[in-house]
Amino acid sequence: MTRTPIYIRIAVWAGVAVLLLWSLAPIYWTLASSITPTVEFSDKPLHLFPQMPTSEHYQRLVGLMDGHFGGVDVAQGFRLALFNSIVTSAAATVLCVLFSLLAAYAFARLEFWGRDILFYAVVATMAIPGYAVIIPLFRLMVATGQIDSYLGVTLIYVSAFLPLSLWLMKGVLDALPRSLEEAARMDGAGHLRILFWIIAPISAPGLTATAILTFLGAWGQYVVPLIFSPKQAKPLTVLIPEFAGKNFVDYGLIMAGGSIAIVVPCLLVIFLNRYLISGLLAGSGK
Amino acid sequence: MSVTSATPTQQSYRIGGRADAVTGVLLVLPILLTMGGLVFYPLASTAWDSLHRVNPMQPGTPFVGLKNYMKMFGDAEVGRSWLNTLEYVVMAVLAETVFGILAAALINQLDRGRRWVLAAVVLPWALPGVVSGVVWQWIYSPGPGLLNALLVRAGFDFDAHLWFNDTTSAMLCITVVHVWRMMPLTIVIVLAAMQSIPSELYEAARMDGASRAGMFRLITLPLIRSAIAVAMTNATVSAFNLFDEAIVLAHNSVETRPILIQIYLEAFKKFNFSYGMALSLVVTLISLLISLGYVLRIQRTTRLE
Repeated sequence: MTRTPIYIRIAVWAGVAVLLLWSLAPIYWTLASSITPTVEFSDKPLHLFPQMPTSEHYQRLVGLMDGHFGGVDVAQGFRLALFNSIVTSAAATVLCVLFSLLAAYAFARLEFWGRDILFYAVVATMAIPGYAVIIPLFRLMVATGQIDSYLGVTLIYVSAFLPLSLWLMKGVLDALPRSLEEAARMDGAGHLRILFWIIAPISAPGLTATAILTFLGAWGQYVVPLIFSPKQAKPLTVLIPEFAGKNFVDYGLIMAGGSIAIVVPCLLVIFLNRYLISGLLAGSGK
Repeated sequence: MSVTSATPTQQSYRIGGRADAVTGVLLVLPILLTMGGLVFYPLASTAWDSLHRVNPMQPGTPFVGLKNYMKMFGDAEVGRSWLNTLEYVVMAVLAETVFGILAAALINQLDRGRRWVLAAVVLPWALPGVVSGVVWQWIYSPGPGLLNALLVRAGFDFDAHLWFNDTTSAMLCITVVHVWRMMPLTIVIVLAAMQSIPSELYEAARMDGASRAGMFRLITLPLIRSAIAVAMTNATVSAFNLFDEAIVLAHNSVETRPILIQIYLEAFKKFNFSYGMALSLVVTLISLLISLGYVLRIQRTTRLE
């Protein structure tokens, strides 16, 4: 290898620095603002670092400090929304991964009538945007009384993310060698036993990628919960913009709430980056 | 193959086959029910109801033929939001492609810390769209906003500058947020293609005395062309689906409204369900056509290579 000239290396590092600044500065600013006291927001000139860090916004969010916004108890709404976000995203992830694992096994290993048509029909719905079905879904959920219920929102998330996770899981199963399964078969193991004791453990990276993509998708959803769970089952994404009222925008609360809403995806990206990237690549080539 | 010629082993295979078929159907049943109930049935319903008048505020659902579709052509708000969506798509796809390729090329030059740089770069994509929206709203805000403060510090007169008072500037600001969120996908796709180029090609070019720019133009670009097309398809579809950033930053403003917000308002604020359905079906079709166009282009170019 010839050594790269120093001026080019400097240029590359400068470019990467700009790229990192562009990607991370808004995230830094969210976290920094969330610990800046409200009075400091109007300081001129603006401080790039909080001068007197405070946890007042977080205390108001979780209820250690009394907080009302537009006559509504902030802490109560926030705790419920955080809980709702976790429950619906986690439930959607578990169901989505489970359904697609079961079906991917059937599509990859078993013969039955209409198999290929069904597989391509499900995968093809990836190209169909959610809004093409959202109005009839709304009428369906009203008719069955599932507005503002965990079940309704979770099932909509599952139906939205199933095609991608089925596509990813089928790809994982197609790439697995069959020798292990055949050996287990000889020993008299049934399909479910093979699926959960042999296939699931060795396809753990694929399962993880599928799970991360589904979780991030559900966690960030806005339109679906805005329409289907506007009150009791309201998640963080619907709650946070509500702190911006008509006359007054409580940026302290928004930034603290926003920080909590972005911490979860940040941790997933930092620790499971490798699986995430592989999932993104497999999913984008559809 | 006739039944009479079947040997005992084939017969037993068939019995196993039937049991396998039953298992297969049972295993796909959860997907079949979810997709059938929540995607295929509503999709058919969208198509059917768009030919009727469906409005919870009005009794009955009479058949109206193509009336809902005709209405679109005379609807000034729909026309405006189509134009806006078109502008968003052009600006976002252009920015994401150009800067995305540049960023991928930069990351590809790194020999240390590439994994961490990539993780940092992917972060904006992983965050909820509305949260990105409110964060940038805070950055753009006239008084205590970061953007104005930095511009003032750099010596420009941007104190209390209003970014959302003017349509062009508002749409640019919304596009910036969208690009911030979606460019990581372009970077990841293009970078993966760059990494799969064998380094011998560059070695050989270097022997021949090729310059860096020449190598990028003659080796890298042709070999990442299909990846760029895939990235552009994704970018187009997601700019088409712009909603979260626009509604947080500019609310329902007609001047900056993309087509999806138009559908949302039509269906869930005015309760013109069937008109909303007709609109959403047209948007779906156009989005499918664009994706198909890209796919066909990729196929053609890859066949030529």
